[in-house]
Amino acid sequence: MDRKRLRLVGRRLVQFIPVIVLATFIVFGLMQLVPGDIAVTLAGESASTERIAEIRQLYGLDRPMLMQYGSWLWHALHGDLSRSILSGEPVLRMALERFPATLLMVVYALVLSLLIGIPMGILAATRPGSRLDGFVSGTASVGVAVPNFWLAMLLVASFALERPWFPATGSAPFGEDPLRALHFATLPAIALASGGIAEVARQLRSSLIEILGSQFVRTLRAKGLSSGQILWKHGLKNVSVNLLTVIGLLFNRLLGATVVIEAVFAIPGVGSTVVHSAINKDFPVIQGIVLAMVLIVIVVNLIVDVLYTVLDPRVNR
Amino acid sequence: MTTSRFPMTDAARRGAMTRGEHESGAPVDVSRRELISLLTGACVTGAVAGTGLSASGSALAQGAPRKGGVLKVSAPANPSSLDPATGGAGSDHAFLFTIFATLIEWDYATLKPQPGLAESWSYPDNKTLLLNLRNGVTFHDGTPFDAEAVKFNIERAKTSQRSNIKADLATVERVEILGPHQVALKLTQADSALPLILSDRAGMMVSPKAAQALGNEHDRKPVGAGPWKFVSWSDNQKIVVTRSEAYWKPGLPYLDGIEFAIIPELNTGLRSLIAKQNDFAYSLQPNQKQVIDRAKGLKSVVGSTLYCQQIYLNFGKGALADVRVRRALNHAVDRATYVKLTMAGLGEAAWMNLPSTHWAYDKSLANCWPHDPELARKLLAEAGHKDGLDLNLLGYTDQASVQRQEILIEQFRKAGVRARFSNGSIAEKSAQYFVEKQGDGLLSAWTGRPDPSLSYSLMYMKNAYFNASQTEASPELTAALLASRSLDDIEGRKRALAKVQKIVTDLALVIPLAFPPELVAMGPNVAGYKPSLLGKPKFDLISLTA
Repeated sequence: MDRKRLRLVGRRLVQFIPVIVLATFIVFGLMQLVPGDIAVTLAGESASTERIAEIRQLYGLDRPMLMQYGSWLWHALHGDLSRSILSGEPVLRMALERFPATLLMVVYALVLSLLIGIPMGILAATRPGSRLDGFVSGTASVGVAVPNFWLAMLLVASFALERPWFPATGSAPFGEDPLRALHFATLPAIALASGGIAEVARQLRSSLIEILGSQFVRTLRAKGLSSGQILWKHGLKNVSVNLLTVIGLLFNRLLGATVVIEAVFAIPGVGSTVVHSAINKDFPVIQGIVLAMVLIVIVVNLIVDVLYTVLDPRVNR
Repeated sequence: MTTSRFPMTDAARRGAMTRGEHESGAPVDVSRRELISLLTGACVTGAVAGTGLSASGSALAQGAPRKGGVLKVSAPANPSSLDPATGGAGSDHAFLFTIFATLIEWDYATLKPQPGLAESWSYPDNKTLLLNLRNGVTFHDGTPFDAEAVKFNIERAKTSQRSNIKADLATVERVEILGPHQVALKLTQADSALPLILSDRAGMMVSPKAAQALGNEHDRKPVGAGPWKFVSWSDNQKIVVTRSEAYWKPGLPYLDGIEFAIIPELNTGLRSLIAKQNDFAYSLQPNQKQVIDRAKGLKSVVGSTLYCQQIYLNFGKGALADVRVRRALNHAVDRATYVKLTMAGLGEAAWMNLPSTHWAYDKSLANCWPHDPELARKLLAEAGHKDGLDLNLLGYTDQASVQRQEILIEQFRKAGVRARFSNGSIAEKSAQYFVEKQGDGLLSAWTGRPDPSLSYSLMYMKNAYFNASQTEASPELTAALLASRSLDDIEGRKRALAKVQKIVTDLALVIPLAFPPELVAMGPNVAGYKPSLLGKPKFDLISLTA
């Protein structure tokens, strides 16, 4: 990596520190605003006010908000993400256990989005106004409009219950048996990818149509280059930055969308953990998971930024 | 092989419809060997009493229990803790019952107390409960179960800072060891509710050695003396238990192990059964019954439970301090329609806090609140609300709760009551109503306690947590409640509890709505499941067919 790129990475990393602090602080603040009390949950069904107060004191929930956040941040800086108030499990271990299932689903969905969305976009862009273009645009619109949880239930009904080709629920560890893990993740990934396929196809189509209609392409045609050469050598190269932006945004959006899909498929990933913890106000878990998610988003954005400089050297100037 | 034919009697079929598996009504084929085997098994388990022919009928249809196999269960909630003393959620019991044996057990159909780790018990005087403990029982870690273990457990439940069951044992002053297998619980006041309290969390015996060695970690690595030993708990994902060879009931359990998959979304849980990934799902919603019936090979069990949907009333303030208003509200509710609309007709209308199958149910109170909007209007007018009444209720945001609210708003409207709901999460609204005393009432539920005296005390005694008014409803009720806990013969208690129920009804301290059914779905290979009135599944008698 050259010095300019290293400087870019360094600059981004410095910018990310306030992003992390701000994101975790906002989440912590919002948790305080949300009604409900984890002490009530912990105290059980018929707890007295004294017992609830005792639990608040026991877990330090009676301390001022800034003090609670400061204590969490201090420990997090030292690599200790604290323990779940509800289960007592170390949050770091929870995050490490839950992320693989979620990431597998997200990466699988992203790959499907690209494998299907890119050819669709290219086909539509090279034949604008044709029936094929209409079909691709129509399919893409449906893909954006259809809620992924509804599609997920249709997929389960058709390909897990009616025809037992895929499991209806659950996940399998990728490290133990990759094929089995992919088998489990197929239906959730398809449901998750439906919007992604549509987005990739639509973005690529519009960018490519713009590029293929530009003056430099007309010049290339005049110089005698074939349509194939223009598309593969010049067209796609010029839309690659746009595509990269879409991929970066898509990854982050897919990560968020796992919350619903995990519920439909009973996948024990981060999405279901965040929902469970948010309902019960188990703030150390939420803080830990949010921190991990922010870090993942930051890393993805950083990779995208670095790739921009590779694909378009003007970005680094 | 000779085969006998046993047509089910009408009574048995009725029992099956309310408590046991749904039967087609066809005669049941059973071989003589299966019958003998089943009857012997029933004698060994000692748990058939009270279930009548319905349970026998369904079990006969499924053949003799086979030992072995791992049951895969879709569980709707992650446990709050696997230590009976530190947990707080009613949904924990399904897991706890597998790992821990209780001092006292209950009859599945009526919840009458039955011997458990305590072979017998008696009250030599009204302030002493004597427990004779079973000999030769060991915990899963090899620690012997004896009087020392009982003393340790009860003292731990009473004094541990993290214990959530201190209130359950409030009347126990101290535990005296009278012999290696005999203890006396010395009480501060007469308390005949204790045996059934000891069938719940307070009676679940934890290995003293493990509890001391593990400390807080015992929440996640429990050691008991139940039918299965704890193996692993992956939070919000899976809990695994395996057979304890040292379990004290001969021949039980039938299953080698149980794997609980935590699936909070109930429809997803049911789908996992249809896809044959799991064998058993419980705590399902009544509207899922149709899905189970349509699914190929799935069976359902519908049982009645103590879980009572109701509107808690703060009878100490505002318009609700007037008994006529509270009676009017009770007459405004059309319970039959409520059950039909919210429970697909599978529930039971509630007239009091006990369902009709409970041993302390008072038949004379059945239909004590006939739906009569005109009478409700008249009562409101008498109480000075000629132009109707504004009622501010609290409720929950989930879809089922909102549906219940819409039905009740409309029923109240017909009686001139303008009900409004302020909704939030269960924890938030429960705390606002019970702790902060906000609102006139709360649409929620009473999840039930094994002993009815405890239920009534927790809801209606002065200063009880679930009595938002914190006032004494009437001195007669207080006296009746204390009397219901001072008698130890079941008939005497039944009469005392009937008096309690009559006073609660007369004062209209609550609006009982309905008892939703316990709905369980099972794969075709699952046999022997018996629903209990507690509505919390026990897996001891379940077996898997080949």
